[in-house]
Amino acid sequence: MLNRDQIDLIHREIDGANTPEERSAFRALMEQNTEASELAAELRDVARLCDLVEERAPPPHLRRTILDALPQPALSSTESGGMTPRDVLRWFMLHLRLGAERMEEAIMTRKVMLIGGAVVAIVIVVAGVVTGFPPGSREAGTIGGVEKAARYQGRPMTEADVTIENPEIATLLQNDEIRRLVQSDLFRQVMASEAFRQALANDGFRQALATDAFRQTLASDAFREALATDAFRQALATDAFRQALATDAFRQAVATDAFREALASDAFREALATDAFREALSSDAFRQAMSSDAFRQALSSDAFRQALSSDAFRQALAGDAFREALASDAFRQALVGDAFREALASDAFREVLATDAFREAVASDAFRQALVSDAFRQALVSDAFRQALAIDAFRQALSTDAFRQALSSDAFRQAVSSDAFRQALSIDAFRQALSTDAFREALATDAFRQALSTDAFRQALATDAFRQALSNDAFREALANDAFRQLLSSDAFRSLAPSEALSQSFMREAERVAQ
Amino acid sequence: MIETPVAADEQDRALIRRYLAGQRDAAIGLVDRYQKRLFNVALRMLGNVEDAEDVTQTVFLNAFLKLRTYDPRYRFFSWIYRMTVNESLNTLKRRKGTVTLEAGPPVPAPGATADRTTEAQDLVGRALMRLKPDDRAVVVLKHFASFSYEEIAEVMEIPVRTVKSRLFTARDRLRLALRERGEQAC
Repeated sequence: MLNRDQIDLIHREIDGANTPEERSAFRALMEQNTEASELAAELRDVARLCDLVEERAPPPHLRRTILDALPQPALSSTESGGMTPRDVLRWFMLHLRLGAERMEEAIMTRKVMLIGGAVVAIVIVVAGVVTGFPPGSREAGTIGGVEKAARYQGRPMTEADVTIENPEIATLLQNDEIRRLVQSDLFRQVMASEAFRQALANDGFRQALATDAFRQTLASDAFREALATDAFRQALATDAFRQALATDAFRQAVATDAFREALASDAFREALATDAFREALSSDAFRQAMSSDAFRQALSSDAFRQALSSDAFRQALAGDAFREALASDAFRQALVGDAFREALASDAFREVLATDAFREAVASDAFRQALVSDAFRQALVSDAFRQALAIDAFRQALSTDAFRQALSSDAFRQAVSSDAFRQALSIDAFRQALSTDAFREALATDAFRQALSTDAFRQALATDAFRQALSNDAFREALANDAFRQLLSSDAFRSLAPSEALSQSFMREAERVAQ
Repeated sequence: MIETPVAADEQDRALIRRYLAGQRDAAIGLVDRYQKRLFNVALRMLGNVEDAEDVTQTVFLNAFLKLRTYDPRYRFFSWIYRMTVNESLNTLKRRKGTVTLEAGPPVPAPGATADRTTEAQDLVGRALMRLKPDDRAVVVLKHFASFSYEEIAEVMEIPVRTVKSRLFTARDRLRLALRERGEQAC
């Protein structure tokens, strides 16, 4: 009787795993022990028999089927030949099973699976996506097994549910529509997408499925194209997007032409995949904004969509103030204005959008009204102006017609962009002046704005005396006077303005005259 | 030229990197490198071409879906073979003990007579199915995938001594099963 060590020695010899010393021991055992040599001979026969079994070539279509199922864009149609309808059905069943298993892993904490519901959801969604028919009552009858399968909801998954022998699924797959469906490239891509399966398992998505608006969207070319992109599928996989889908406002937005047009653009889809946009989606204000015509019109503009693809704009979208602003008609009207959209196309403006100052400003009605004017939007692109936006007095000034008209002049904008003006903006006296009617009226005149645009005047602004004068009622009343404003714009005035002493003398005299 | 394990591993890693960087042809490279080997392991485990085909597809799909979470400290081959063995074992469990043997005609080996190859295929196939699935996995990896004890241990995540013990016992059972049929002499 052979002991364990001797048996192991023989097996290791068969496997070629013995050391030289063990090989010597093996040879000695063979010479001395007949039972050992018989066992070794029989085991060698087993090994030889196994060697005779040649590797088998996989079925020719296997490689194609594997590559088609991968979570990557499908290969070109010229490479997709060779799959029989049976192969496609096998592929479908494989995905159905994998999808069910994954959903089970992901969302079920116990072995209870709404497999019938999953089948229905998958078929309805994909049927809607690929064939374009909203699955109403007629179509549900047409695809036969779908309605019957619903009775599987709520009971534990069994083996029969995920095998092709399942009569409901078999009936389903005999249907021409479904067969056409599973043979399409898009179906394969969609089913291979983890994000899509996660979406299917989500309540918000399923609620959305129950609405006509969403199903109409599913049937649109734009949605199908969007589904084929990673960015959109990433968006689908996020809670924010799916929660948004559960709201009427978002679904209404999704069902509009503007949204579908937007979906067709890379910029929009990329935006959908960003955290900032998804954060925005999770806010009521943004969703309300999406349901407004103005916002959707904005969505359909290239400039807005390009803006969506910029970090700065998306950061702005993520801010409460901006989203609240989106809820105001004035801001949305601004969004649809050409000037605003042009501004959106500039990096500088998008950076502005991302600043705290802008977001604070956006929260004020005055600012949002100001946004409606072209002049203001043009001014928005300058650094000086953006810094000024951070100041309350400036924003209050913005709410007046006179100030906004002033913004439309080059002279004023130049003034705004000067250091002196900005320094002046930081002084209470100047800001008080800004908030007076007289100053704003003065701003509305060419003479004053020309004065503002000169170095001399701006240097004067940098002097305490001049700014104190500005805060003086008499001076501001004087500003309302044409002659005085002409004076301000005259060469003579400008020549004395740079001199502190002369300025002070002049201001004292001016005050005296005015009084 | 014979590919060394290190060179093979390097090539796998390079393909994975390229795939994760969005290069589709890298997926084709990985499928081409492993498709036949994995299919044959599944075939020997399950004894059925269609099931083996399903397992191979499932393994590749799962592998590519999880490739981003693949830990590069481990060799790719051991990861994907492990998935193949596990998926085959799961399929056997789902089948609840039903044994299905090869349905398709066997492919003659080059240089061997068709009869001898067919006979060997049939004998070994039936004998393998009489082994417990875990024991069968070790025999398949040793005799059909030509793995060392260490490689089998890596794939199955068990100690080398357990591999030896399981293999020796399984091979002995295989010997007895073949002897029972009186057909060892082939």
